Amino acid sequence: MRLPIAAFVMAMVVMALPLSSKASAGEHVVVLHHMELDRIEGEMRVDDVVTFDNRSDMTHNLYITYADGTVDNLDTQTPGMKRTVKLRVAGPAVVRCWIHPIIKSELVVLDREDDAGK
Amino acid sequence: MTESRFFILLAFAIVLTIGVAAGVAPRSPHGTTVSSVIVRPVSAAVGVHVPDELKAKYRRPDAIPSPPSNPLTPEKAELGKTLFFDPRLSRTGSVSCASCHNPGFEWGDGLKRGLGVTGVPLPRRTPTVLNAAWLSALMWDGRATTLEQQAALPITAEHEMGLELEEAVARVKDIAGYAPLFEAAYPGEGVRAETLLGALASFQRTLVSAEAPFDKWIDGDETAISEAAKRGFLVFNEAGRCSKCHSSWRLTDDSFHDIGLESGDIGRGQFAPPSVVIMQHAFKTPTLRDFRLSGPYMHDGSMASLDEVIDHYEDGGKKRPSLSPEMKAITLSAQERADLVAYLKTLQGPSLDVRMPRLP
Repeated sequence: MRLPIAAFVMAMVVMALPLSSKASAGEHVVVLHHMELDRIEGEMRVDDVVTFDNRSDMTHNLYITYADGTVDNLDTQTPGMKRTVKLRVAGPAVVRCWIHPIIKSELVVLDREDDAGK
Repeated sequence: MTESRFFILLAFAIVLTIGVAAGVAPRSPHGTTVSSVIVRPVSAAVGVHVPDELKAKYRRPDAIPSPPSNPLTPEKAELGKTLFFDPRLSRTGSVSCASCHNPGFEWGDGLKRGLGVTGVPLPRRTPTVLNAAWLSALMWDGRATTLEQQAALPITAEHEMGLELEEAVARVKDIAGYAPLFEAAYPGEGVRAETLLGALASFQRTLVSAEAPFDKWIDGDETAISEAAKRGFLVFNEAGRCSKCHSSWRLTDDSFHDIGLESGDIGRGQFAPPSVVIMQHAFKTPTLRDFRLSGPYMHDGSMASLDEVIDHYEDGGKKRPSLSPEMKAITLSAQERADLVAYLKTLQGPSLDVRMPRLP
């Protein structure tokens, strides 16, 4: 009797796996091409995780500056490397590259409370 | 039958021997066999065929950009030129922008390090102002982001021109001949810091490298540069790795790299948190358009010859955590070095036809 239950649980876990590997609402992937960042689509909220995927042939070093002036540095990112950052501060923010100042992308980070309809 | 088979085998052996000698043995770009152990892919070593898509990356733009807040006009450029050559914008009245950005020195000064009103050598070499209209980060450390912003920095720097901006504006206001120039350039706005700096920025935007032999070749004239220079262009883009940073039509990526020079100057590192290791000792990639063949080279003028520069890149620079990942030791043959220099010389265009202004 226990074996079928275990098998059922296993099956459910396996069925759920593909879903959990997809980016959830709080995860975003932004691709770096040469000296350009893909446009950042969709709403971003505090605590969302953004992954920057360096698909260019050069090394980058992104950083994000928040509305309160604080900065998160994503460190050096060689070609093929991914770096993630958890958004900390609500308000307008700017993503730039220390090495290549021409790279610039602006975004608005929404407060999590906005989710509750406030 | 046996005899004919022997001759067939002999002929086959001869063809094979010639084929091996022609196709496999290392050859110089001129086609002669050399003893060097450096063997490049056939496209780079033998032919000088350059893919169109590679050449397209170096095509000149059609128009000069200017910001909506200060659109470029002939009147602004004329005013800016007058101010650029006017030494009264310095504390001593003896140093103008053109003193360091001298048209005769490709809009630089030809010195290892610049000299201003105090005679104290500046920490860095004077960069050219050619093609500044396209810059997205100015000064060796990128501390200015627009030409308008940058224009104030040398005027006010103690060892460069050493004048407070307010004092510069006051002096220009006192020179009656400037009033009509300002009125033509900025109607109704008068002599103010914004208009003075805007005019200087506008004039610098007009300083665009004249068409060089390289540009003619990029545009399709195969006779515009030598075969050696074409091979050098491939070295520049492939074995030499120069284009990793010296990219685009201006031969710069407008970006910041530590190329491993021995120096206490941390460059852009001054403006980045210490945790941003990659910015320590990082300086902006200079343009190679119209660079002075006689040097000096590097941000600190520390190298006197192109040979020294190539040696540095072959060595790969000082190994330290901030060293740019683009810096990798390379090995070039004597032929490749010569070809590279031949290519770099094709970046020299004729001097700009800029007439000296009559100062009011």
